[in-house]
Amino acid sequence: MKILNCPLNGPRNISEFIYGGELHEMPDPNRCDSREWVEHVYFHENAAGIVREWWCHSATSYWFLAERNTITDEIIRTFPASEVFNQRVEFTAVEGE
Amino acid sequence: MKLYQNLSNEFGYNIMMENRGQLTLAHSDAAVRSFRWRAEVNQHLGVRSELVDRQTIRELVPNLNMPEDGRYPIMAGLWHADGATARHDAVAWGYMKGACERGVELHQLTEVEDVLVSNGKVTGVKTNRGTISCGSVVQAVAGTSSVVAKMAGIKLPVHSFPLQAMVTQPYKPLLTPHVSSPHVHVYVHQTSRGEFVIGGGSDPYPLYNTRSTLDMKESLAAAALELFPFLSQARLMRQWAGITDMTPDYSPIMGLSPVENYYLDAGWGTWGFKATPICGQTMAELVATGKPPELIKPFELERFYRHQQINEAGATAASH
Repeated sequence: MKILNCPLNGPRNISEFIYGGELHEMPDPNRCDSREWVEHVYFHENAAGIVREWWCHSATSYWFLAERNTITDEIIRTFPASEVFNQRVEFTAVEGE
Repeated sequence: MKLYQNLSNEFGYNIMMENRGQLTLAHSDAAVRSFRWRAEVNQHLGVRSELVDRQTIRELVPNLNMPEDGRYPIMAGLWHADGATARHDAVAWGYMKGACERGVELHQLTEVEDVLVSNGKVTGVKTNRGTISCGSVVQAVAGTSSVVAKMAGIKLPVHSFPLQAMVTQPYKPLLTPHVSSPHVHVYVHQTSRGEFVIGGGSDPYPLYNTRSTLDMKESLAAAALELFPFLSQARLMRQWAGITDMTPDYSPIMGLSPVENYYLDAGWGTWGFKATPICGQTMAELVATGKPPELIKPFELERFYRHQQINEAGATAASH
């Protein structure tokens, strides 16, 4: 079994984890148009090479980020999402718009 | 299906088409309901597909394990009498022969390195053996759809996952139809060589690698033994994987692209080559007329922008 190193739980079997999609920047939901939002939701880079993506340890519902090589099937690095996200993401509509 | 039936004659090449029927198993009330609905839809569209009971299943597949109180009791089946298999290599070789006889030039061992686009219109393809200028391009590259589309500056709603399958040692002929179970995620059929082909869903995460994993072999073997316990002594002869290009609604993308005269045929994912003949015919019509034929119009890339996905959850034992 392939081992994935969870930043919270340490090395665990990869079957305990769920792949959660590519990490890409979210357009501002209050400002982007419908096409941009569709692309954000459905369209993917699907790159052959090193990618950054979301993973979840399903037993503990812990979400984190991983760098993975999609050609060699190697996990390069796993790290907590706080390395990238250090501010709260605001989804609610902006007052007065 | 109708196009396949005449393909061997048209090519002058035997594609080893075997009309042995396909049986999909229902292990829950919900599955029985959904199969009844699928049978009705299929019949409405002129496909010979029907819901069959346990007795009929027993007659169709005498070797199937059908305990009354098993973990996954078999409650009913969806029987597609015209379901068939063909040798996939022979289909590809047949097309190659047929195309070359009609004056098509094939360049093997030629890698596409870039797609040349000027003023939003495709003008050529750069390969490792030189540049070919052209009026239009059809992209039909399966697993690497996203990589090639990116060369033309197009982003696709596709994720590439490996799909693994395996075959056992040969046995005497004892399984006639193709049997699949979406519930235990497996399909099993016996080839004319006697080998049992076992396959199921895609891998759990995207990858451009056809490596083999023990996890997948374990889960496929466990599911196959649930249906056919006599396979417990079977030895695996070979295993392989292919890269499947999966779309969010599991339906293919066919038709126009944001680049003029650049036509997409992608996202066939776990569908295999069953739609190849009709796909070729409709895509050829699209290139010839520049207008998507009615049959493939709903499958255009634009459907995602209109939120008009075509939900397709009926693929053979696939994980959706």
